Amino acid sequence: MADGAASERPLSPHLQIWRFTVTLAASITHRISGAVLYGGLLLMALWLIGLAFNPALFATASAIIHSAPGFILIVGFVWSLLFHLMNGLRHLYWDYGRGFALKTATMTAWLVYIAATLATALIIWAGYGGGA
Amino acid sequence: MSKKGTSSFILQRASAVVLAPLSIWFLFAIVSALTADYATARAWLAAPWNAALVGGFFIIGALHMRIGMAEIIVDYIHSWLKDVLLFINWLAALGLIAAAAWSIYIISFVG
Repeated sequence: MADGAASERPLSPHLQIWRFTVTLAASITHRISGAVLYGGLLLMALWLIGLAFNPALFATASAIIHSAPGFILIVGFVWSLLFHLMNGLRHLYWDYGRGFALKTATMTAWLVYIAATLATALIIWAGYGGGA
Repeated sequence: MSKKGTSSFILQRASAVVLAPLSIWFLFAIVSALTADYATARAWLAAPWNAALVGGFFIIGALHMRIGMAEIIVDYIHSWLKDVLLFINWLAALGLIAAAAWSIYIISFVG
């Protein structure tokens, strides 16, 4: 893309010229949640390595997990996984050429935000022994 | 990365279909595992089903996240940095697979 001729080609319009809609937000959130999961899996791999090889590393990971920032990390990971999973189902549905009607896409976008948030509360409650 | 569009497209969707149910199991299992002490967490991961499902989640997840992150990189980075980031992205995915597989192997079979 360095030479002039190649850079004349139009790029896809980016973030700055769109009117805000919930479908746009869901699209960006899909990417951000994917990136959060990427980082989360790498951090969780450190926890796994500690569990397998290095009790001192595990103790450090555990201390972080039990701190307030650690709780925020876990809630963020859980919400991101739930959002990415549910919004991914929208993407799979679109791959079949369905669900593109404006009203449908707007409704499913809201639904994914609401359902991901409610399911996060359930998972966190159950995970911290609320059901036990 | 060029000439791989179709296989990436298919692998991303195939991995998504496998990850969807796997993620639901993972979510219900992982929070209590992460907050457990060393002995409890080790005993949990030493159970064969837990080992297989956690391993599957990490390995298939690594393939899925590599393709997704590559898509983000090629969308926003148009300089020489693009190839560097795509390479690091590959290393991160391979490292994740190696770390998860090796750790789970040790916990399951070596102790």
